[in-house]
Amino acid sequence: MDTESLVLTRRKLLSQGAKGTAAIALAPLLTTGSASAATRAARTVAGVASGTPKRGGTVTFARSVAPTQLDPANSIIAGDVYTLDKIFEPLYVTSPSGQLTPWLATGYTASADHKTYTYHLRPGVRFSDGTPLKASDVVWSINRERANKNGPLSFLDFAIKNIKADGNNVVFTLAEPWAPFLSDISVFANAILPANYGGKSEKAFFKSPIGTGPWLLPEWQADSNLTLKANPNYWQKGKPYLDSVAITYVSDQNQQLLQLRSGAAQIVDNVPPSNVASLKSDSSVTLTQFESWQTDILVFNEQLPYFQDRHVRRAIAYAIDTNKLVEAASFGTAKAGKGLFPPSLEYADENVPTLEYSLSKAKAELAKSKYPHGFSTKLLISGGVEKWSEFAQIIQADLKPLGITVAITSLDHAAYETTFQKYDYDMFIDYAINDISDIDEMASFNLDYKNGGSKSYWSSYNNPAVSKLVEQAESEFSTSKRQALYTEIQKIIAQDVPFVALDYPPYIYATSNKVQGFAVNPGGAYRLENVWLA
Amino acid sequence: MSKRVALNVYRSYTGRRLAAAVLVTIGVAIAAFILLHVVPGDPARAVLGEHATPSAVDALRRQWGLSQSLPAQFGHFIADLVRGRLGSSYFYHEPVLTLIGQRIGETAWLVLGASILAVAISLPLATLAASRQDRLSDHLIRGVGVIGLGMPAFWVGIVLIEVFAIHIKLLPVGGWGDTLWQHIEGLLLPSLTAALAIIPILIRSLRAGMLEVLDSDFVASARARGLSETRVLFVHVMRNAIIPTIALLGLNIAFLVGSTVVVEQVFALNGVGALLLDSITNRDYPVVQGLTLVMATAVVLINLVTDLVSARLDPRIRLR
Repeated sequence: MDTESLVLTRRKLLSQGAKGTAAIALAPLLTTGSASAATRAARTVAGVASGTPKRGGTVTFARSVAPTQLDPANSIIAGDVYTLDKIFEPLYVTSPSGQLTPWLATGYTASADHKTYTYHLRPGVRFSDGTPLKASDVVWSINRERANKNGPLSFLDFAIKNIKADGNNVVFTLAEPWAPFLSDISVFANAILPANYGGKSEKAFFKSPIGTGPWLLPEWQADSNLTLKANPNYWQKGKPYLDSVAITYVSDQNQQLLQLRSGAAQIVDNVPPSNVASLKSDSSVTLTQFESWQTDILVFNEQLPYFQDRHVRRAIAYAIDTNKLVEAASFGTAKAGKGLFPPSLEYADENVPTLEYSLSKAKAELAKSKYPHGFSTKLLISGGVEKWSEFAQIIQADLKPLGITVAITSLDHAAYETTFQKYDYDMFIDYAINDISDIDEMASFNLDYKNGGSKSYWSSYNNPAVSKLVEQAESEFSTSKRQALYTEIQKIIAQDVPFVALDYPPYIYATSNKVQGFAVNPGGAYRLENVWLA
Repeated sequence: MSKRVALNVYRSYTGRRLAAAVLVTIGVAIAAFILLHVVPGDPARAVLGEHATPSAVDALRRQWGLSQSLPAQFGHFIADLVRGRLGSSYFYHEPVLTLIGQRIGETAWLVLGASILAVAISLPLATLAASRQDRLSDHLIRGVGVIGLGMPAFWVGIVLIEVFAIHIKLLPVGGWGDTLWQHIEGLLLPSLTAALAIIPILIRSLRAGMLEVLDSDFVASARARGLSETRVLFVHVMRNAIIPTIALLGLNIAFLVGSTVVVEQVFALNGVGALLLDSITNRDYPVVQGLTLVMATAVVLINLVTDLVSARLDPRIRLR
């Protein structure tokens, strides 16, 4: 069974990726942009096309995830999201460098009280059937998403009080000022469909979906393999470059790489870190790592007395050598973990000191706890994720000198998830993720015990000061003031250690040397309209 | 035994086999249901995502009937089954039978291809081994067979891909392709992989059967009549040995159907084996239950047909 795809089929709210953002003028109104965004753009590793794009051809993309259905409002698993986001587009998207980029909207204006946002629709956008995009389509689509109580991401729209069409503009009225709103609007779940499914029934519509995206799917057969065809009415004239993209489901990682090497596939996802070295030596293959908004974390169950003890958590943080961990289990592909927030995320502050590896400090810290001689505990992992099982063994060895005996429990992914969500664990390894560009997602979900919805990612870490800062930052619109609030949060959690940040893993893709212009955004999404074959 | 008595014996045998087949199928359905629901995991969480509120998760579980007691859920499952309903997938929102119908083709062709290859390879090798009893070729055929038994299908598959798809570049590394020719090409290696797992078993029993036949009086008389050894072997011995081979293949069909789960994975075929694995991962209960039932029924039916055909051909079996 393939391993990494298990991870990907979890919760995934992923904002769409888009290459070639330079071609589209960034709205000057963009308020969340900052100097650090520019440096992040410079850091983006890959997908840089060389030469003049050539038109035509087909690319086969062998993916480790399978689509099951294509409704943006009801999707959360990676196979669904990464398929429907080729067909449907939102008003804004997240670029490969992680910046919000105008897409079906050309920009927006915000009222002084941050309670009214007016988005200006891009002129000349048509759905794949040729019907022009109207403001009423946007109103209908986002209202549909808001009203869907089973919508995995409909909570993101909670701040919206109402939406109105005004000529070529769409006016959002918010119940309260909400800083993450701009990012929320860019999520795939807020993608635009033709109002009333273009006159079809809901079921019939998703069997032959119509969107504004670069690709169209003539008929959805609920099949794991499908072929996307270029949308001749796409609003970015001349794109997509390819005639079609065949998306195949190949769950076995070995088979994926064999297909790439034999030429049966040109792009594969989820390359395991252990295969990176051998692929790098293959001259017909390009290996690309894309920065992600992800952090692999060790979570403590603070409902247990020993993990309630801050000294114990601090001792463990000191005892885990993340540099060694990254070298051994991530094969040098990932950056060693420091703080919870990945450095690729805006407002992550790399200057905040964290508890770095020191066995002597670990011992001193444990001596101050109620458990100076250690204790026995369990570490839960998702079976099949090779990297995590190696992490677990390294952690087990690192904690031994403290007298902390760790027994590793490995469960299949669904069982693992149910188990930690019932708080039936001591420690577990998972990853924290931001799928939209606003840091609030990770801050509230992982740290805000009061409002985050998961009791600080099922850790039960409850620091009212942190909850208050997270809330304050949600209604703060000055970049520098928001930065100060998030820096303060990071200082507190660096000392409190609700989680140990293990590493910041990249997305690793392998492509044929002929593939140009392939890029993935830090949320994990890619749209492929800029891909061409040399 | 008069003809009439023989027919009655055959009918009663058929009746007993049919009853056993029905019982086995029901047993599999119950086992699949219980195992699936006892293992932790929540499809509602998977569909709704981590951000879902507990009340949204509960609502979806209620909608799917998962909040009821296990016996009540089982009652609904059986009641639906009796009415011929297998329910709809939680993920695909499609009827389970539609999904199975879409994917069963690749798996059925794989099982058929493996069966044909298994017989086509076992028969000549077993004949050779039997005719050269205790000589080098006999030891080689049996020895390699034993080693073959010890190799897991996923590993055999990888080796075959390395040899035939990467080095010789004769066949595709995997996938189903779009044209009939691509389907045939694509099926060769997976069929061979699945076949290799049962070929040693077939060779061993086929060889034993042939040796038994070789010892019998009619062979001695055929030889005495001056027939060539080749003719004795291929006309008289093989004909008698092929019946137990087919029977044995029938009995191993369950193993073959089971191995498609692994083989499909290794060769990127999207048949029911792959669907089963994904549905287990996702805890898509209706699909897993439906598929288990369909696979069990297929296996039971094939076994039943094998039993009945064997009994028809060899009257001794009916009396057991």
